[in-house]
Amino acid sequence: MNAALFVGKTGLSAQETALQVISNNLANVNTDGFKKDRAVFEDLLYQIQRQPGAQSSESTELPSGFQLGSGVRTVGTQKLFTQGTLQITEQNLDVAIEGKGFFQVSMPDGTTSYSRNGQFQLNSNGEVVTAEGFLLEPAISVPSDTTSLAISVDGIVSVTQASTATSTQIGTIQLADFVNPSGLQAMGSNLFKETTSSGAPATSNPGTTGVGTTIQGALENSNVNSVEELVDMITVQRAFEMNSKVISTADQMLSFVTQQL
Amino acid sequence: MDKLLYLSMTGAKETMLAQASHANNLANARTTGFKADLAQARAMSVVGDGFQSRAYAMTERPATDITAGVLNHTGRELDVAISGEGWLAVQTPDGSEAYSRAGELQITSTGQVLTGRGLPLMGEGGPIALPPATKIDIGQDGTISVLDDTGALAVVDRIKLVNPDGRDLVKGEDGLMRLRTGGQAPLDPAVELESGFLETSNVNAVNELVSMLDLARRFEMNIKMMQNAQENSESSARILQNLG
Repeated sequence: MNAALFVGKTGLSAQETALQVISNNLANVNTDGFKKDRAVFEDLLYQIQRQPGAQSSESTELPSGFQLGSGVRTVGTQKLFTQGTLQITEQNLDVAIEGKGFFQVSMPDGTTSYSRNGQFQLNSNGEVVTAEGFLLEPAISVPSDTTSLAISVDGIVSVTQASTATSTQIGTIQLADFVNPSGLQAMGSNLFKETTSSGAPATSNPGTTGVGTTIQGALENSNVNSVEELVDMITVQRAFEMNSKVISTADQMLSFVTQQL
Repeated sequence: MDKLLYLSMTGAKETMLAQASHANNLANARTTGFKADLAQARAMSVVGDGFQSRAYAMTERPATDITAGVLNHTGRELDVAISGEGWLAVQTPDGSEAYSRAGELQITSTGQVLTGRGLPLMGEGGPIALPPATKIDIGQDGTISVLDDTGALAVVDRIKLVNPDGRDLVKGEDGLMRLRTGGQAPLDPAVELESGFLETSNVNAVNELVSMLDLARRFEMNIKMMQNAQENSESSARILQNLG
């Protein structure tokens, strides 16, 4: 059978994967703390049909061989941890990270997840939780008679209570950093999980040892650039069409054989 | 049976192979740093006694098109593209050195710098390993500087950028370029790197599509010749039957 058929097929499935990645990015264009993905392609192995330098006769050799590529494949997706723009919300429990680092979230099963989404809330016990209700780590509980809450750039949470005139520190938000954040496993719900390729987390107070600072009253927007994604979508669509053209051409060639002979 | 049939058959078969080569280029129209393969046909005449009426077709890949693709801005600090001529050196699994223009770099948990397909990127003295850093900056000449936890800036290594003569490069079975004679190309300080960019594939989609259509018609002509051969043999059989 015509090899072009199968090569064209690899092109189609790669472009389909690319479109899925782009559509997920576009769907999350308004998700706070979302980091976009990118599909990485590589050419598949080449098959040697004819070795360069093979003898074409006893005394002459072929100057160039023939190696046939077998198409394209998606190696994987890469998360791009570029900074999203900061949006001022003036909510006192909205925290954005300016720079590297992740908030630590303790999951119901006892493990720790990492997130860039700083839309925190309080639960019925006065503890700081994420939108899903998972506890922030290290846990911070806000006293019930709090009149105002402030989070400093280095993560110190202090409150003013109705009973006292001075403010009291109730905890510190710590950030975790990874050698290779792209190696984190995205779990959905804006959460990431540690893997062997991400390395172990290094926790530190905001603003120290290379991690970013915490900005109260702001949220980090998604780092998806919708214009860029739409342009990518155009190139994906055209590449898809061209590969389907390859398949239809190869098909016509084969059907010509069966009709004419 | 007439030799015509076999001649047309090789023509059609080799056209189909050339078709696959163009299909591979089109499949990689969006692969970062991909270089299109060229395909050409060669006439291989059968030399022997008597009249040389037989010249079989043979498709071959004379070279790879190494013209640069378009630089596409990504803004990621670990995306690099070479502006102008030159190649990034990578280490293949067998330990030898190969060259690529795909610069979607990533860092492993041990600090090793890998390309998008997972091969270690070569520095001045072997694969690059980075210390833990808050910010990584890749300069125009491939110098990697890192800002460490204490805020000190240090130059760690330099990406091995090479620029061998295009005629000495040949594409291997894994799609990476290698020196035709084997060995390693020396570092070329004149090669310039752009950080925050990726090079697109240099496949010209219009060229490839037109070549595909052209090859499809050639294929059909070869099949037509096979049909002619069939008609010829049918007529001669008929004439011989009528004689008898």
